[in-house]
Amino acid sequence: MGNGIFGIAISGLGAAQAGLVTTGHNIANASTPGFHRQSIEQSAAPGLFTGSGFFGQGVQIDTVVRAYDRFLEQQVARSAAQSSYYAAYQAQIERIDNLLGDSTTGLSPALQAFFGAVQSVAADPPSIPSRQSMISAGASLVARFNQIASQFNDIRSGINSQITSAVGQINAYAQQIAALNSRILVAQNNPSQPPNDLYDQRDALVAQLNGVIGTSTVQQSDGTISVFIGNGQSLVVGAQATTLSAMASPDDPLRTEVGYSTGAGTATLLNSASLTGGRLGALIAFRSADLDGAQNALGVLVQGLAHTFNDQQKLGQDLNGAIGTDFFSVPAPAVIDRSTNTGTAVITATISAVTALVASDYRLSFSGGNYTLLRLSDDTSSTFAALPQTVDGITFTLTGGAPANGDNFLVQPTRDAARAIGLNLTDPRGVAAAAPMRTAAPGSNTGNATISAGSVNGPPPVNVNLQQPVTITFTSANTFDVTGAGTGNPVGVAYTSGGNISYNGWSVQISGTPSAGDVFTIGPNSGGIADGRNALLLAGLQTQNLLAGGTTTYQGIYSQLVGRVGSQAQQIGVAAESHAALAVEALQAQQSVVGVNLDEEAANLLRYQQAYQAAGKVIQIASTLFDTILELGK
Amino acid sequence: MRISTGMLYYLGSTSLQQGQQELVRLQQQIASGRRIVKPSDDPVAASAVLDVNQSKALVEQYRTNADGAKGQLGLEENALADMTTVLQNVKTLAVYAGNASLSNTDRDSLATEVETAYQQLLEIANRRDSKGQYLFSGYQGATVPFSQVTPGNVTYNGDAGHRDVQIGAGRAISVNDSGEAVFRAIRNGNGTFVTAAAGANTGTGVIGPGSVTDPSKWNGPGNPGSFTIRFDVTATGAITYDIVDNVSNLSLLTGAAPAAGGPYLRTYSPGGTISLSRQVPPDTNPIAFDYGATVTIDNRPADGDTFTINSSTNQDIFTTLQAFISNLRSGVSAVTSSGAAYQNSINGTMLNLDNALDSVLNLRTSVGSRLAEIDAAKDTGESLSVQYSQMLSGLQDLDYAKAISDLSLQQTYLQAAQQSFLRITGLSLFDLL
Repeated sequence: MGNGIFGIAISGLGAAQAGLVTTGHNIANASTPGFHRQSIEQSAAPGLFTGSGFFGQGVQIDTVVRAYDRFLEQQVARSAAQSSYYAAYQAQIERIDNLLGDSTTGLSPALQAFFGAVQSVAADPPSIPSRQSMISAGASLVARFNQIASQFNDIRSGINSQITSAVGQINAYAQQIAALNSRILVAQNNPSQPPNDLYDQRDALVAQLNGVIGTSTVQQSDGTISVFIGNGQSLVVGAQATTLSAMASPDDPLRTEVGYSTGAGTATLLNSASLTGGRLGALIAFRSADLDGAQNALGVLVQGLAHTFNDQQKLGQDLNGAIGTDFFSVPAPAVIDRSTNTGTAVITATISAVTALVASDYRLSFSGGNYTLLRLSDDTSSTFAALPQTVDGITFTLTGGAPANGDNFLVQPTRDAARAIGLNLTDPRGVAAAAPMRTAAPGSNTGNATISAGSVNGPPPVNVNLQQPVTITFTSANTFDVTGAGTGNPVGVAYTSGGNISYNGWSVQISGTPSAGDVFTIGPNSGGIADGRNALLLAGLQTQNLLAGGTTTYQGIYSQLVGRVGSQAQQIGVAAESHAALAVEALQAQQSVVGVNLDEEAANLLRYQQAYQAAGKVIQIASTLFDTILELGK
Repeated sequence: MRISTGMLYYLGSTSLQQGQQELVRLQQQIASGRRIVKPSDDPVAASAVLDVNQSKALVEQYRTNADGAKGQLGLEENALADMTTVLQNVKTLAVYAGNASLSNTDRDSLATEVETAYQQLLEIANRRDSKGQYLFSGYQGATVPFSQVTPGNVTYNGDAGHRDVQIGAGRAISVNDSGEAVFRAIRNGNGTFVTAAAGANTGTGVIGPGSVTDPSKWNGPGNPGSFTIRFDVTATGAITYDIVDNVSNLSLLTGAAPAAGGPYLRTYSPGGTISLSRQVPPDTNPIAFDYGATVTIDNRPADGDTFTINSSTNQDIFTTLQAFISNLRSGVSAVTSSGAAYQNSINGTMLNLDNALDSVLNLRTSVGSRLAEIDAAKDTGESLSVQYSQMLSGLQDLDYAKAISDLSLQQTYLQAAQQSFLRITGLSLFDLL
C-alpha cells in the first residue's frame, strides 16, 4: 500500500507538472501568431482490483490537445482572403482615384486653360503672344496627359512586379506547407498524439497564403492537408507543391500573368478565374476591370481631342497664309501579334471615326477562314469573312501576308494615346485662326442680298480649289451663274434666300433679294490675319458633343471617367471596410476558442501549483506512515 | 464568451486606429474646406464639380472676351464719333457754300477747309487699334485699308470680313465694321436715285433731289432706272420737256423714239413737279407707266438743256468730298449757267453728306447696340458665374459647423477609447499573485 501511495502521489506530481508546463507554454506563446492554446487531458489510472474492490492508482496524462474548431478556422481563412483582397484592391484604386480627381492637378484645369487660350486667339487672332500662350497651354495639356499616363504606367508596372512577388510568396508558402506536411506525417506515427505546434505553424502558413490568394484546403486522414486555388487547381498535395510562375502574356508582352510550371522551364497560363481572392486576385481584377478601363477611357479623350482639333486646324489658315497643319500628334492604334502566331498576316488598325470610339481593347482572331473580333470590355464579338472592316470607328486592314488558323492579334486603339500624345505645332504663327477663304459683294450691287462670311467644309484635307476665285452672278432674282476653276461653271442655278451654296469645299449663304447683275465673289483670304473664324470654331469644339457617338464633350468623357473610378473606389472602400469587420469578427470567434487568456492561465498556474503541493503533501504523509512502521522495529 | 488576451489588445488598437483615421479624414476636410477630398467621397458630385468648373471657366472666358470686345468696339465708336464731327463740319461748310454772296476767294478758302476735313477722314479710315491692327480693313489687320491714288480716288485694300468675338455660349459678336461699310457703302443722291444737270447746260435750271412717292413702284420690274429730261424752248419762250428712258432710248411720253427737237408734250413751269408716271393728257404713250418718283426743276432751263435721273449707287465719302472741293475750286464764272452748275453740284454734295451722316449714324446705332449687348452678356455672365460658384459650393464645400462638431465628437470617442483601453489592459491577475 505504501508504494501505492507514493506512486499515486508521484503521478499527481507529474500531472501537476505537466499542467504547469502546458500553462507555461501557453503563457510563453500568448502573442505567437497562429498559436492555439493547449491543455492536457488527464484521466484516472485504472483501479487495481483487490478483494475489497478497485483501488485507484493515481492519475495519468492522456495527451496534450490544442483548442481547435475546424469551422471557425475555415471562416477565418476565408474572411482573411476576402479582406486582404479588398484591402489590396482599395490600395490600388485609391491611386487612380486620387490621380484623376484632384481638381487642381487633375486634367480639367489643363483642358480649361488650353481652351481659354484658344478663345484668346479667337478674340485677337494676329497677336503672337496670344498664339504663343495657346501653344504653351497645349504643351501643358500634353504634359498633363503624359504625366497621367506615366502614373498609369507606373501603376501597371507596379502591378507586374507585385504579381511577380505575390507568385514568389505563394511558392514559398506552398513549399513550407508541403514541408510541414511531411514533418507532420513523420511526427504523427502515433495518431492519438498530435504534433500541435506543427499544426499551428501550418495553419498560420495557410492563413498567410490566403492573404495572397484565396485557397481551399482539404484535411487528409494521414494528417496532411491539400491546398487548392480557384476551381481546384492543386497547389499542395501531401509533400508536393506546385510551382507557379509569373510570365509575360502571349498577347501582350508588357502584361505579367500567372502560369503554373508543367515541366522543366515550361509554364501554362492560368485562367484568371483561378486567381480569386487575396492580394493577387485583387491585382488581377483591378488591372482588367479598372486600370484598363480608365486608361482606355483617357485614351478615347486623347484620340478624340487630337483628331477633332487637328481636323478643324487643317480647315483653317495660319498667320503665314498657309493651310493649317496638325496641332497634336497621336499614335495609331497598336496591334500586337500573339507570340504563338504562325501566319504571316500583318494587321493594321486606323481610327476612321473618332466619335464612335469605345474605351476597349479588341482581340482579332482568325479561325476556320473567318475573322472574329472580340471587344474585350464587354465580350461583344462580330465575325466577318474578309478584311478591311470598320467596327467602333476603327478600320482593321490586312496589309500583308495571310493569317494562319488560330492566329490572334490584340488591338489597343486608345491605351497608349495619353502617353504618346505630343505637340506637333511649335510655331505660334502656325495656329490656323483664320478661314482660308472670304466672301465679298461689290458696292455696285443693286439688290439687298447679302452674302455670309462662309465656312470651309470638313473633313480635311481641304478641296484643292478651295481658294480659287469664284464669282456668283445673278441672272435674275431667282437664278445665278457660277464661274471659277473647280466649280464646273454651272449656269441658271436656282436661288433660295438663305440656302446653302457649296462649291470647291466651301459653303456660303446668300440671303435677301438680289437684282439681276448682282455679283458675289469668293476668294482666298490673303492677308486675313485679323480673321478669327477658324479659331472660333476651334474654341467651339470644347462645348460640342463630339465623343461617344456624339453624346458628350471632352470634359464630359473625363467627368464620366472620374465618376466611374470614384464610384468604384467608393464601392470597394465600403466592401473593404465591411470585409475587414467580418474578418475581425471571424478572428474574434476563433480567438474566443483558441486564444490564450492570461488571467485564465494565471488561475491554472495556481490550480496546478496547489495540485502539486497537495501531491507533495501526500508523499510527506506516506513518508510519515513509513516512519511509524520503522519506529515499531526499535 | 471567452476573451483571449491577444484579442483584447488587437481590438483595442483597431478601434484606436479607426478613431484616428476618422480624425484624419475630418482634419483633411477642414484643412481643404472641401467635403470631397477624393472622388470616391462622392463620385456623382465629384464628376459634377468637373463639369460645373468647365462651365464656370467658360463663362469667365466669355467675360474676358467681352471686355476685349468692348475695348475694340469703343475704338470704333470713337472713330465714328470723330467722323460724325468732321462730316457735320463739312456739311456746315456746304450750307455756307450755297450762299450766293460768296466770292471765289471765299470759296477757295472753304475748299482748303474741306481738304483738311478730307485728310482727317483719311486718317480716321486708316486708324489702328492698340495692337497695331487697322480698325477698318476687315480680316486683313495688317493691310492699310485706304490708299489714295489721286485726290478723291481712294482705293479700299481691305475686305468685308467681320472680326467675331465669342461673348457667350453660341453668341459671337462683330467687333469691327469693314471700311467698305463705313466709308464706301454710302448711297448717293436721295438714296434711291440721283439727279444731275448736264455739264453742257446753258440755262439756269437747278434740279432738286427728287422724291420717291412709292418705293415699290421704283423698285418694281420694268424700271430702267435711268432717265434723261430734255428741254425745248421755243422762240416764244414756251418751255416744254420730254422724258427719255435711257435703256430703251424711247420717249416715255410718246412711247416712240424721242423727237430730235421740240416742242415736247409736257409743259414746264419753274418749280413744278415732274412726275415719272403717265399723265394723260398730254402723254400719248399707249402703255401706262409709273415709277413712283418725282423731281422738281427751278429757274429757266435753256433749249437743249438736259437733266438726268439715275438709280443711286454707292459713292465713297472721299469722292463726295473731292467733288465738293473741285466745285469750290472751280467757283462761279461770269457765264450765265455757271451759277446753276455750281448750285446743282452743291445740292448733290449736301445730299451725299446727309447720306454719309445717316450711314455713320446707323453704324453708331449698331455699335451702340452691340456694346449694350456685350454689357448684357457680361451681366448674364456675372450672374451665371455666381450661380456656378453657388453650385460648386453646394457640391463640394464643407459644412464647417458640422465638421467641427464631428471633430470634437470624434475626439471624445478617441479619448474614451484610449482611457478604457488603458483601464482594461491594466487589469491582470498576475499583479495579484
